[in-house]
Amino acid sequence: MIFFALEALAWAFRPPFRPELVLAQMAFIGVGSAFIVGVTGTFTGMVLALQMNYALKQFAAEGYVGGSVVFSLARELAPVMTGLMITGRAGSAIATELGTMRVTEQIDAMDTMAVNPIQYLVVPRVIASLLMFPALTMLFNALGYVGAYVMGIYVAGIPEGPFIEHTRGFLVPDDILHGLSKAVLFGLVVSIITTWRGYAATGGARGVGEGTTRAVVASSIGILIVDYGITLFAVGT
Amino acid sequence: MIEVNDLWKSFGPNDVLKGITLSVPKGQTYVVLGGSGSGKTVLMKHVIGLFKPDRGSVKVNGVEISSLSGKALTEARHVFGMVFQGAALFDSMTVFENVAFPVREKQRSVKAAELRRKVIEKLKVVDLGEEVLERFPSELSGGMRKRVGLARALVSDPEVVLYDEPTTGLDPITTDYVDSMILAAKNKLGVTSIVISHDIASAFRVADRLAVLYDGHLAAEGTPEEVRASPDPYVQHFLSMWFAKQ
Repeated sequence: MIFFALEALAWAFRPPFRPELVLAQMAFIGVGSAFIVGVTGTFTGMVLALQMNYALKQFAAEGYVGGSVVFSLARELAPVMTGLMITGRAGSAIATELGTMRVTEQIDAMDTMAVNPIQYLVVPRVIASLLMFPALTMLFNALGYVGAYVMGIYVAGIPEGPFIEHTRGFLVPDDILHGLSKAVLFGLVVSIITTWRGYAATGGARGVGEGTTRAVVASSIGILIVDYGITLFAVGT
Repeated sequence: MIEVNDLWKSFGPNDVLKGITLSVPKGQTYVVLGGSGSGKTVLMKHVIGLFKPDRGSVKVNGVEISSLSGKALTEARHVFGMVFQGAALFDSMTVFENVAFPVREKQRSVKAAELRRKVIEKLKVVDLGEEVLERFPSELSGGMRKRVGLARALVSDPEVVLYDEPTTGLDPITTDYVDSMILAAKNKLGVTSIVISHDIASAFRVADRLAVLYDGHLAAEGTPEEVRASPDPYVQHFLSMWFAKQ
């Protein structure tokens, strides 16, 4: 897989460049996943606000709900949940599509037409993932905060002033950047694993199915491992 | 034009090719006959550089394909067109996009009108009209898919066309039609062809030279008449499956 990733990296810098394929993949991975990521973000923010309100009320600190929710979302929940959602929706589709192309000789056909399949099929998906994972993470952050705001102010009855004030006090640009750097790495991990599993599929429909399952499992575990690694590196023990 | 010299290939413990040597002159049609699992497709994939040999070489126009990789191999493949057993059409693209694909990728500045003219011209060679241009592969019959596959292989005017089991799974009339297409590609366009097949009737119809592959070796090689007269017991048995019915 490392050799595959290095080959994709090398082909990314060689002409011909195909921006139209990158845009198509951005639409598929990004625009296509926006709904599920948005819904997940909104509900995560709503649930988190209720849970935080329940916990902080014990200490008469409900005003900190907004700040603690936005902090959790930005550094942890938004990149991880977004990564897992995109893996389930787009990652599985990428592995299946490339796997089907492999077992029906479409990838071999591309090779025989003097078109490098890694450059044509893998590179656009990797670039699109590197761009769309952080973009969708920001969407998750935004809608998660909206969900928390609605729950906090209109359902839990937290005064708006402290809610907003502590959000500003808690959240610094570094938190957002920390989450976005995770999202970029998740995009790299998921796109390489899913394209590689599809590209290396063998054995017909069953092989494609197994490849897709392995791609989703490995990507999900990859996200969690990378998340732990970055957090350990950035925050320490 | 194409020289295969002492080609060996194994997959794990299975020795698939055991020292294959053959030569395909320019403009001729060379058919490799053999039973299922005899290594025919493996041989062809070596010719186009999809597989690397364990030993031996493949030269096309004097260029050793088997030693190339990366960009050099990609460039060397411009002389080839290949028709796959299952056509291998891109199922997310229309017929037009499939046939146009090799030209678009080879000449990225090609004008839309010129591209359309080329696609229609090559579809006409395989007897398909403009009504199929916007159809997807899933909307075509097996025979039509093969013909679109052949049009795609011919559209960039290759010097060599490789056919992988072109008549497998087709009815007799469509088989006859595909044979005519292979002959037309040779006679009208002057292409050199390698055909991998286990269809004896079709092989004897289109071949200038023929080889019978068995157990990783060429059991017989020569003109169709020479191969038919081969004393090799496997060749006699293999050919009798069809000739005995005549």
